Amino acid sequence: MITLTDTQTIDVPVQSGEEDRYHLKMGPQHPATHGVLRVDLDLDGETILTCDPKVGYLHRGFEKLAEHRTYAQNIVLTDRLDYIAAMSNNVGYCEAVERLLAIEVPERARMLRVMVCEMSRISSHLLWLATHALDIGAMTVFLYCFREREVLLELFAELCGARLTTTYTRLGGVRQDVTRSIMKKLDKFVEDFPACIEEYETLIDTNRIWLKRTIGIGQVSAEKALDLCLTGASLRGSGVDYDIRKHMPYAGYEKFEFDIPVGETGDTYARYRCRMEELRQSNFILRQCIDMLPPGPVLGKDAPDLVMPIRAANKLEVDVPAKNALITLIEDRDVFMEGDIYVATEVPKGELGFYFISDGMGRPYRMHIRSPSFIHIGALSTMAQGAMIADLIAIIGTLDVVLGECDR
Amino acid sequence: MKVHYKPKRNLLETIFQVEILQGMALTLRKLFSPAITRQYPQEKPPMFPGFRGQHALVRDSLTRDSKCVACMRCATVCPSRCIQISYDEDETHKRIINKYTIEVLRCVFCGYCVEVCPVGAITMTELFEYATYDRDTVFFDKEALLDNWDAFIAKTGKDPAYVNPLMRPRGIFESSLPAAKRLKVPEDWTIEGQYVGPKARPSMVGLPTPHTEKANG
Repeated sequence: MITLTDTQTIDVPVQSGEEDRYHLKMGPQHPATHGVLRVDLDLDGETILTCDPKVGYLHRGFEKLAEHRTYAQNIVLTDRLDYIAAMSNNVGYCEAVERLLAIEVPERARMLRVMVCEMSRISSHLLWLATHALDIGAMTVFLYCFREREVLLELFAELCGARLTTTYTRLGGVRQDVTRSIMKKLDKFVEDFPACIEEYETLIDTNRIWLKRTIGIGQVSAEKALDLCLTGASLRGSGVDYDIRKHMPYAGYEKFEFDIPVGETGDTYARYRCRMEELRQSNFILRQCIDMLPPGPVLGKDAPDLVMPIRAANKLEVDVPAKNALITLIEDRDVFMEGDIYVATEVPKGELGFYFISDGMGRPYRMHIRSPSFIHIGALSTMAQGAMIADLIAIIGTLDVVLGECDR
Repeated sequence: MKVHYKPKRNLLETIFQVEILQGMALTLRKLFSPAITRQYPQEKPPMFPGFRGQHALVRDSLTRDSKCVACMRCATVCPSRCIQISYDEDETHKRIINKYTIEVLRCVFCGYCVEVCPVGAITMTELFEYATYDRDTVFFDKEALLDNWDAFIAKTGKDPAYVNPLMRPRGIFESSLPAAKRLKVPEDWTIEGQYVGPKARPSMVGLPTPHTEKANG
C-alpha cells in the first residue's frame, strides 16, 4: 500500500490530447445520489463525457433468499425493496402470488389495497419532491413535504403497526381492517392535501432558478425512453401514455376514475409536472376509496394461513378454523400449481414486476424482481451524456431511484 | 391527459421577480403559524395499539406464568429464524418449556409470531426505546420476555387483559380464529361494526357479507 506524505506526488501517465480529462468517482457516500450509488465520471472540464453508474452496494440477495422461504414469508422481504413505498411492493408481490396460486381476494381487501397503494404513492412522490428540490437547492419544499408525509406514515403506523416496513398484505387479502379513526384522519388529509400541493407549486413551479435547473435537462424523446425501458413518470414525461393501472388493471383499479398525466418535452420539468399531477390524481382516488369502501371481510375464506400452503390444506378437507389451526409446513411436491407467471404493478417508481417459477413446492423455485429503479439507473449514462456535473444531480433526482430496490 | 404548464412570465413579472416574492410571502406566513416540529425525546410520538415494538410474553394473571403451549408455530413462521424454543413432555404429554429465546438483533419486526400464536401468548408491545450498548440485553429469554410485559403494563398503565390488533386482527370473521383468541374487542374491529363508505355498492364478488346475509334472511 502506498502512503503519501505532503511533499510526495504521483506521476499519473496522461495520454496526449487527454490532459483536460478528469476521472471522478462520485459516491457511494454522496448525499445527492440517494443512497449508495456510485457514478464513475469522465469529465472534460465540467462536461460529462462518459457516465458509468456502479450499483450493488446495497445488495442483500433477496431473489436467492426468497427461494428458501415460503410464499408468505417473502412478503417481509418486499418491504425492504423500495423502502419508501413498502405498501406498493407488498401489493405487487401478493397480486403476483395470488394469480399464480389462484387465490381469491375479497372486494373490501382489494379496495384497501388500492387505498394503501395510493397513500404510499403520495408519500413516495413527496419524498421524491423533497429530495429532488433539496438537491437542486430549494430547502423549504423539503420541510413542507415531510410535514405531509409524516401524516401518512402515522396513518400507516395506526393501520398496520409500522411506519415503513409495513408487511400489510397477506395472500388472499390484507391483515388489518381500517378503523373509523383512521378513515377520519385520512378524510382530513385528503381534504387538506390539494392546498398543500398548491404550496409546493407556489414555491417552485415558476421559480426562475428551478426552471433554469430543470427545463431541457436530461431530455429523452419518446422513442429513446421506450428503448431505455423507462416506466412510470419517467416515461410519461416523454409523452408516452402508459400506466399499468389503466392498461392492465389490477386490484380493482378499473373501477376508479382517474387520469394519467402525460408530459410532452421529456425533460426534468415535464417529469416534475407529471408527478405533481399524479399527486392530485392519487388524492382523487383516495377520495373515491373513502366514499366507496364496501363492507365485508378483509381476508378471503380460502386464504392460506401463514405457515400452511393452501392446496395442502384443501386436500385435507377440513373446515376453515381447523385448517388455520394446522401448523405443518408442508414441503412436499405437488401441493402448489406448477408453472411460471409474470405480474406487473404500477409502483410510484414505475413498473414493478414479479416473475415466479413454481415447481409445486411451498416456496418459489425462482423469484425474479423487475425493479424500476434498476432499469432507470441503466438509463442514467445515456441521459447524462454531455450534461454538466450539477445537472447530473438533477437527472439522478428526476429518475427517482431507490437503491434498496435497485440492488435488492 | 396532458399536463398543463403555467403561462410564461411576462416582462413585468420578470422585472419585479413576482414568483420569488410569492414564495417569500408563503414562507413568511408560515413563520407565524404554529410549529409542527415534535421535540422528540421530551415529546413522544403517538403510539397506537398494534404497534410492532419490543417483544413480550403475556403473563397470565392466574398462573403468573406464560400462556405459551410450545406449539412451535412462531418458531416455524419466523422469516429470520430468531425464535428458539425447546421443551420437554411430561407424562400427560403436556409440553413444558425449557428455553424460549428471541434474538432481537435478528428480528425483522414483521409480527408474524404474534399473528400465528393460537393462544395469544406472545405479543409485541408499544415500547421501542430499548437501544443498548451490548448484545446480552437484547437477547431475551423467557424471564426477560415476561418482564417486558410487566414493564409495558406498568409504564403505559394498560389493563393486563388488553388485546392489540396483532393478536386479534381487525376485519376477519371470529369463526376463523382459534378459540383462545376470540376475545372481546371494540366494535370497530369486528365485521359488523366496520367502517363502510357512504356510497358503497353491494359487494360484487359474491362473497357473503353480514349485510347481504341479513338481506337474504
